[in-house]
Amino acid sequence: MTILGEIALWIALPVALWGTAVSFAGGRTGRGDLVLSGERTVHVVTFLLVLVSAGIIAAFLGNRYEYYYVVNYSNRELDTYFKVAGLWAGQRGSLVFWTLLLSGFSSVAAFVNRRRNREFMPYVSGTLLGILSFLLVVLLFADVNPFERLGFTRFNGLGLNPQLQNYWMTIHPPTLYLGFTAFAVPFAFAVAALLTGRLDSRWIAVTRRWILLSWFFLTIGIVFGMRWAYEELGWGGYWFWDPVENASLLPWLTATAFLHSIQIQENRGMLKVWNMCLVVVTFLLTIFATFLTRSGLIESVHSFAENLRIAYIFLGFMGGMAILAAILIVHRLPSLRAENRIQSFLSRESAFLFNNLLLVGVTFAVMYGTLFPLITEGFFGETRNVGPPYFNRVNIPLGLMLLALMGIGPVIAWRRASKRNLRKNFTIPVAAGAATLAALLAAGVRHGMALATFSLAAFVMTIVVAEFWKGTRARARIAGEGIASAFRSLVRRNRRRWGGYIVHAGVVVVFTGLAGAAFDTRVEQEMTPGEAMTVRSALGSEYRLVYESLSHTRPRAAEDVQENDWRWTALLTAYRDGERIGVLRPEKRFYPVMEQTSTEVGISSSALEDLYVIPKDMETGTDRATFEVKVLPLVPWIWYGGMIVAIGTLVGLWPTRGAPVPSAARERTVRRPVPAGAAG
Amino acid sequence: MSVLIGGVLLGAGVLLFVLEPVFSGKSAPMYDGDDVFDEGAARRRVALTALRDLEYDRATGKLDEDDYGRLRTELSREALEHLGDEGDGGRAGGGARGGDRSSRALEEEIAELRRAIREGMECGACEHLNRLGAKFCARCGEGLGGGGE
Repeated sequence: MTILGEIALWIALPVALWGTAVSFAGGRTGRGDLVLSGERTVHVVTFLLVLVSAGIIAAFLGNRYEYYYVVNYSNRELDTYFKVAGLWAGQRGSLVFWTLLLSGFSSVAAFVNRRRNREFMPYVSGTLLGILSFLLVVLLFADVNPFERLGFTRFNGLGLNPQLQNYWMTIHPPTLYLGFTAFAVPFAFAVAALLTGRLDSRWIAVTRRWILLSWFFLTIGIVFGMRWAYEELGWGGYWFWDPVENASLLPWLTATAFLHSIQIQENRGMLKVWNMCLVVVTFLLTIFATFLTRSGLIESVHSFAENLRIAYIFLGFMGGMAILAAILIVHRLPSLRAENRIQSFLSRESAFLFNNLLLVGVTFAVMYGTLFPLITEGFFGETRNVGPPYFNRVNIPLGLMLLALMGIGPVIAWRRASKRNLRKNFTIPVAAGAATLAALLAAGVRHGMALATFSLAAFVMTIVVAEFWKGTRARARIAGEGIASAFRSLVRRNRRRWGGYIVHAGVVVVFTGLAGAAFDTRVEQEMTPGEAMTVRSALGSEYRLVYESLSHTRPRAAEDVQENDWRWTALLTAYRDGERIGVLRPEKRFYPVMEQTSTEVGISSSALEDLYVIPKDMETGTDRATFEVKVLPLVPWIWYGGMIVAIGTLVGLWPTRGAPVPSAARERTVRRPVPAGAAG
Repeated sequence: MSVLIGGVLLGAGVLLFVLEPVFSGKSAPMYDGDDVFDEGAARRRVALTALRDLEYDRATGKLDEDDYGRLRTELSREALEHLGDEGDGGRAGGGARGGDRSSRALEEEIAELRRAIREGMECGACEHLNRLGAKFCARCGEGLGGGGE
C-alpha cells in the first residue's frame, strides 16, 4: 500500500499539471472536451491523494521504520490513533494532508457546479489544479517527500512529540486545515470572475456558502486549539500569541471582515475592489498559516521545526500569487467601480466599514508582532520578540471596539440613520450596559478592561435578545403562531441574518469568558498525602483540595521499553464550599523514547469557573508533591461561546429549499450563452 | 513485481479517464443549464428582500413612520430600476411607457409583499410569498398552516 501511495504521488503531479493547462485552455478557447478533461483531473488527483495518504498511514501502522517521516513521528509503543494522526504530525505529512483536503474540496466544487456557473468552472478548476500542482512539486522536489527512505531500517522510531500525544491532536489540526483549504474555492471563483470579467455579485452569491464553511472550520479549529493549549500546555492559559496561533487567527480575521463586507457589495454595490483584495489576502494568509505551522521559520511552541527551505518556496509562491492577483484586479478596475457612496457616517454601511477597518487593523497588528523576530533579525541582526503584552495592549482595545460594533451594526439603519432611529434602538441596550457597569463598580470591580468588556457585552447581548424577541413577537402576531413556532419560522425565513445574530451572541459569551482572566486566583503549595490546601475564587467560592496519594507506573529498563510513557499520578479530592465536587488526577509523564517529560493538569469545571491543578514537583520516595492551583473564572464560557458561534454558523449554512427570491423577481431569467468563446 | 503492475495499471487507468474526452470529443457543458444566474434578478432580489426587511422593521417597531417612508422611497427606486432592467431583457434603460409598467409592477409587488406578510402567506420553508387563500406553497409545496383562508 505504501509503495502504491508513492507511485500515486508521482502520477499526481503530471496529471495535475495537465489538468491546469487544459482547464485554462478550455476556458480560453471554449473547448468543452478540454474543460471536461480538466474537471476529471480534479477528481483523479483527489483519488491519487487518497492513495498517497493511505500509503503514509499504512507505513505508520505497519511500523515501517525505513521511512524517514515514520521514524521521526512514531514508535512501536505509540497508540494506534496517534499513528493514524501521524499523517499530519509533521511537516511532510501535513503538506500531503493539506493537499488532500484541498483536492477534496476542489472535487466537491467541480461536482456541484457540473451544470451551473459554467463560464467560471474552467478557470476555477484551473486555479485549484494550479495550487495543487504547486503543492505536489513541493512534496516531490523540496526535500519533504513523505516517502523518503533512510537507506536502512531502524528497529524503532523516535516517537511523537509528547505535546502532540493528546486527543485534540486528532481533532484540532484537521479542523483548522479544513478551514484553510475550503477558502481556496472562493479564491478560485474570484480569480475566475476576474479572468472572465463577470464581476457582478455572482461570484459572491456562488461562494457565500463556501466562505461560511471555511469560516466555520477556522473558528472551531481555533477554539479546539485553545482548548488543547489549555489542557496540554499546563500553564492555565489558552492563548499565548504564539506565532502559529497567530497564523491561524490572521485568515480568520480577514475572512470575518470579508463576510461582513460582501453584504455591502450585495446590498449597495460598494467595496468591490476591497472584497477582491480581502478574498486574495485571506487565501494567501491560509497558505502563510499552513507553511508557518510546520516550517520553523519562527520559533513557537508548535515548532517541530524542520526545513526552512520550504518556507522560502512558500513565500515565493505567495508573492507570485499576490502579484498575479494584483495585476488582474488593476486590469479590471473599471468594472469594479462602486455603484453607490456611503450617505452618512451614521449608517449600517458605515458600521460595517469600521468593522472591516478594525479587523484589518488587528490583522496588521498581529502580523507585525508575529513577524517582529524576523524583522529585527533582518534589520538589526538579532532576534527580538514582542511577547503577549504587545498583543494585548494593541488588540484588546481594538477587540472592544469590534464588540461595540457587533451591537451597533445589526440595528442601525442602512443608508442614513436618523436620531429617532438611534434613540429607539439604542436607549435600552445602552441603559443595560450602564447598569452593568454601575453594578460591577458597586461590587468593587476596578479592572478597566474587564469593566469595559462586561458593559459592552451587556449592551450587545441586550440588542441581540431584543432583536430575537421583537422579531418573534411580530411574527407571532402577523402569522398567528405560538412563540416557539414563530421563533422557528423567524430563523428559518432568514437563516443568514438570524444565524449571524446567534454568532454575535456566541462571540459576546467568548469575550465575557476572556475577560474573566482579570480575576484569576493562584496558590502554590507543597504537600504530603493527607494534607489539604484552600483557594478562594474571585466569584466567592472556596475550594479545598485534599492530597490523597501519589502513584506511578513502574519504569522498566530503558532497553526493554514496553510503555510509550511512564506516569506519576497524584490523586486529589476537590471540595467547593464544603461539597465534594470530584477527584482530580494531575500527572507527570516521562517519554523514554523521546526522553521528554510532560505535565497533565487536573481540571474540575463548573458553569462559572474552572479549578485548575498543575503538578510541579513530585518525589516518588516521600510522595511529597508541589501543586500550583488556579481558579479561573468564566473560562468555561469561552467553550460555551465557541459552541454558540458554531451553532449560529451552521444555522447560516443550513440549506434552504429553493432560493429565497420574492415572487416578482423569480422565473424571469433568460437562458443566456456564455460570452467568452463558449462553443459546444 | 505486483507493485509494478499495480502502478502501471493505476497510471493507465488515470490516463484513460483523463484523456478520454479529448479523444472521444465528449464535452463538458459550456452554457448554464436551467440554473441561470441573472444579475438583474439578483439585484431585484436584494432590493425586494430589503423592502421585506423594512416591512418587518416597521412591524417590530424598529423604524418609525418617517424613517420607514424615507427608506421605502429609496429602496422602491432601486427595485424599480431593476424591474426596468428585467423589462428590457437585462439591458438598462426603457422608455416612459416601460417605466410606468415597471412602476406599476413594483407597486403591485410591494402591495403583495405587505399583504403576504400581514396574512402570513410567506412560506416558512422557502420564503416564497404566496397568493391569498393558498393552502400550500406554490414553489415547494410546504403547508401554509392556518394563514391560508
